[in-house]
Amino acid sequence: MDTFFEFFSFADPNIRYVVIGSLLLTASSAIVGSFTFLKKKALVGDAVAHSVLPGVCLSFILYGEKNPIILILGAFATGWLSLILIDIISSKSKIKEDTAIGLILSVFFGIGIFMLTIIQKSGNAAQTGLDQILFGKAASLVGNDLIAFAVIAAILILSVWFFFKEFTLLAFDEDFASTIGLPVRGIELLLTTLTVLAVVIGIQAVGVVLMAAMLITPAAAARFWTEKITTMVWLAAIFGAFSGLTGAYISYIAPSMPTGPWIVVVISTIAFISFFMAPRRGILYRLNNQRKIKKQINDENILKVLYQLGEEEKNFYEKRTIEEILSKRKFVPVALKSGLKRLKREGYLKNDNGYWSFTRAGKHKGQRTVKLHRLWELYLTQYLRIAPDHVHDDADTIEHILTPELEARLEKLLNYPTMDPHQSEIPYR
Amino acid sequence: MIKHVDNPVLEVHDLTVSYDRKPVLWDIDLTLPAGKLIGIVGPNGAGKSTLIKSVMGLTPNSSGYVKLFDKDLKQVRDRISYVPQRESVDWDFPASALDVVLMGRYGKLGLFKRPRKADRDIAIDSLRKVGMEAYAGRQISQLSGGQQQRVFLARALAQQADLYFMDEPFAGVDAATEKAIIEILREMSAKGNTVIVVHHDLQSVTQYFDWVILLNMRLVASGPTSEAFTTELLQETYGGKLTLLSDVGDLIRRERFPNREQFEKIPKGK
Repeated sequence: MDTFFEFFSFADPNIRYVVIGSLLLTASSAIVGSFTFLKKKALVGDAVAHSVLPGVCLSFILYGEKNPIILILGAFATGWLSLILIDIISSKSKIKEDTAIGLILSVFFGIGIFMLTIIQKSGNAAQTGLDQILFGKAASLVGNDLIAFAVIAAILILSVWFFFKEFTLLAFDEDFASTIGLPVRGIELLLTTLTVLAVVIGIQAVGVVLMAAMLITPAAAARFWTEKITTMVWLAAIFGAFSGLTGAYISYIAPSMPTGPWIVVVISTIAFISFFMAPRRGILYRLNNQRKIKKQINDENILKVLYQLGEEEKNFYEKRTIEEILSKRKFVPVALKSGLKRLKREGYLKNDNGYWSFTRAGKHKGQRTVKLHRLWELYLTQYLRIAPDHVHDDADTIEHILTPELEARLEKLLNYPTMDPHQSEIPYR
Repeated sequence: MIKHVDNPVLEVHDLTVSYDRKPVLWDIDLTLPAGKLIGIVGPNGAGKSTLIKSVMGLTPNSSGYVKLFDKDLKQVRDRISYVPQRESVDWDFPASALDVVLMGRYGKLGLFKRPRKADRDIAIDSLRKVGMEAYAGRQISQLSGGQQQRVFLARALAQQADLYFMDEPFAGVDAATEKAIIEILREMSAKGNTVIVVHHDLQSVTQYFDWVILLNMRLVASGPTSEAFTTELLQETYGGKLTLLSDVGDLIRRERFPNREQFEKIPKGK
């Protein structure tokens, strides 16, 4: 716990640097990655991430020490080259884009690992720590490195801020963007460059192997929570920054631990939570919604049966036993009992020593369901020319979904009919 | 029956367009009058969408040129609006109906600038014209097909252009929407705008369009609907597939035959 407070008091300037660095790197890659995500180019991000490795190694071999600017330039060069090659291969040959991406990714990464091994065997003292580029090390974000990375992160964020409108349009409707005279090629080029830059600086914290997660996952998680692109990009930045902060903390308490996997675990957890919990798009919301609909159908069916029983005996407020209800329609006994209890709680039914009867509101609701059922049967026979003995099952479903607005339209269209196709009366008020 | 006009709003000269080297449109020569509601009609795969895409510079032309208002496309972009097919975009995009309509203002705004209040007013007004004002804030994936089409139409209106190209605006919309859209198109052409529509349904051609273009890999007819939309010309457009032409196109692709560009260096009089 002590280390926790020590870290989050940010008293140590080194800690401050590492924190600021991690936040900037992860947030800026998440922001740029939002557009990679919206353009459905997630795999391209992965290819670039792996392809920067040979560039880093090559510039180290040529320059002989770990100068951040030189390493960035090398990474940028091969990252870019990989994109151009993917583009050329998929447009000029029979090979499709996904194959081209797989090809380039493995070839570049393979060469990169090969070079890295050579460097490590060379005995050059300056090479220590170069292997951290594989899985990232946030703690090494100090001094000159930090300044270089921060400048690039600032460039990324500002570019997205300036070109937000153009990037959005390009991601949504490229043809239209082109017809209004937007320099589509140029903007595409810019976005690609930004993606490569985001990867190049992001690898410091996350490493080449897992960098793609840092580009795509924050945006994918954010998409669950919002339908507004500005909110989505902000959320992605916050999610990214939060995972970056965790990575920095891990790096501080366990210096030998690579930070990349930790950052990815955190951001993936956020994505999973979003996947399950988010309103509207989340799994739990959908399941819950399904359960609600099931309950509604069950309850409306109970009221419908009670109404039909009342119709037969011309006495709607008679007390009924569970057996009477079951004689009219098959219910799962548990569902029937919980439905009856719920309807009582909601004020649609009364219970007297095991006998169930309508309240006024209950009778009205049961009547409406019966009415909708019969109206829909009539609609099907009249407008879809379906045989009267085939319309019942359809109507059994549709009666639960019709809104009051559709109900009114249906009544008007059929001109307030009194009888359904089976000569049962359609009950109005 | 190919009728040419003076001072055309669109002039297509000897246009050939290829996809992956296979020509899909052969030597189109076309001039269109201003202020008309114009339908492009032809069977599937006739190159109707390709024609307007090529005019809008979205597909490279193998040969020929296109003039709009007697100028190059680049000089008159802000007078022209293009409505792509509805299925060409992913409607599960984080944007509202209003956001999409505002995109119609981006051309006038230029780079960097954010939409101003005036642009917002124009966008809302466009939404009102297509009867979608109440849906301005609605997420676009929540809209029905017909409503999405209306949003695209509103985006075109927000461009305040003089010449409109629309790729199948009636595809997948209900009868009420179709009626509403054709009403708006009529209004636009009554105001002197030219509206060119790729259209599928032969039944409604005479009712909708002043001028009709019959297309099937080559131009069959272009003229006032009463003159060009005849049984004879329709038979020429739809009946008897040009299998020979299509086979030659396939051969060009299979053999990776030289493109038309290199062809042009051969002196004329072939």
